[in-house]
Amino acid sequence: MAHQAHAYHMVDPSPWPLTGAISALLMTSGLATWWHYKTTTLLFLGTTLLLLTMFQWWRDIIRESTFQGHHSTPVQKGLRYGMVLFITSEVFFFIGFFWAFYHSSLAPAIELGGLWPPTGITPLDPFEVPLLNTAVLLASGVTVTWAHHTIMEGARKPALQSLTLTVLLGLYFTALQAMEYYEAPFTLADGVYGCTFFVATGFHGLHVIIGTTFLMVCLLRHTHYHFTSNHHFGFEAGAWYWHFVDVVWLFLYISIYWWGS
Amino acid sequence: MAARLLLRSAFRAATTCRAAPVPALTRGVTTGGIPTDEEQATGLEKVILKATKEGKDPYSMLKPKEYAGTKADPHLVPSVTNKRIVGCVCEEDNTAVIWFWLHEGEAQRCPSCGSHYKLVPHELPH
Repeated sequence: MAHQAHAYHMVDPSPWPLTGAISALLMTSGLATWWHYKTTTLLFLGTTLLLLTMFQWWRDIIRESTFQGHHSTPVQKGLRYGMVLFITSEVFFFIGFFWAFYHSSLAPAIELGGLWPPTGITPLDPFEVPLLNTAVLLASGVTVTWAHHTIMEGARKPALQSLTLTVLLGLYFTALQAMEYYEAPFTLADGVYGCTFFVATGFHGLHVIIGTTFLMVCLLRHTHYHFTSNHHFGFEAGAWYWHFVDVVWLFLYISIYWWGS
Repeated sequence: MAARLLLRSAFRAATTCRAAPVPALTRGVTTGGIPTDEEQATGLEKVILKATKEGKDPYSMLKPKEYAGTKADPHLVPSVTNKRIVGCVCEEDNTAVIWFWLHEGEAQRCPSCGSHYKLVPHELPH
């Protein structure tokens, strides 16, 4: 094993940061060529490379931790800091969109009719599907916490059930929201209302999909006995991310769906 | 050759089946089934777990012990070789740290405040 006098993990050289950077380049230039020249080759290549990078990078982390035991307590602590900082950066990402929304909605321009929602916009009823979505996400927050407790208590089957339920609720939210998007009486092109609505809720929806995928990976790992009752940071990181997604929705619901109607 | 191939695949099939059953399922419906660190930790994590249980700290994860720094109670400085750099903060909040090499053998004194330091061998974990 390692000839080191410290408990940290000096990671072996890896190609995935490079492939990730290359995919970022391909995806950005791919977007440009798609919009200007209607070709999707670069974008498709970039996306494929991104998916491969993510799969292999995180697979390697699972190998290093679960199968090789490199994730000692200080290493885990560093990962916790990392996840917290990442989620914090995502919070600021959303703050930007909430800023844009409040900027336009608190003092509606005369071109909008001087009111919010702007003239001509029929907002969605906050007490219909959006309220259901709120209930779904809140419930999923409960089930993911339940899952955590069952893991800590060493109970495999309840953990499987609660984690599966969480994933199902996440998928249900996505399906409901997709239907809402399809049925909405306004579009992204409908002025600043449409823009703030779909960009904010759209990025949120993307994060729901990311969070659901994260939890699905956790579920898969759990079925393969990766987690111990004491050491299951991969799951905790997923749960933190899921709670963050839930909180963002609550802000979206209160600000855009409810106050904004 | 066909017989050899058949035997080989039959052997592989037999051995993989043996690895499948989950022992924990017998332990009850609402309890058990998730391994503990005791059972499943491996590599460095396992080494540290074992050492911690025995009260040892081979990877210097814990805060160093406090010593008086006198001749009778010198600061004990662990080292995996026969010397180590010491940085003495003579008085609390001092910004000028006194750096010096501490060699094995007799205790040395900080050139500024005179605290005693003694090198002690530290087992290199492997």
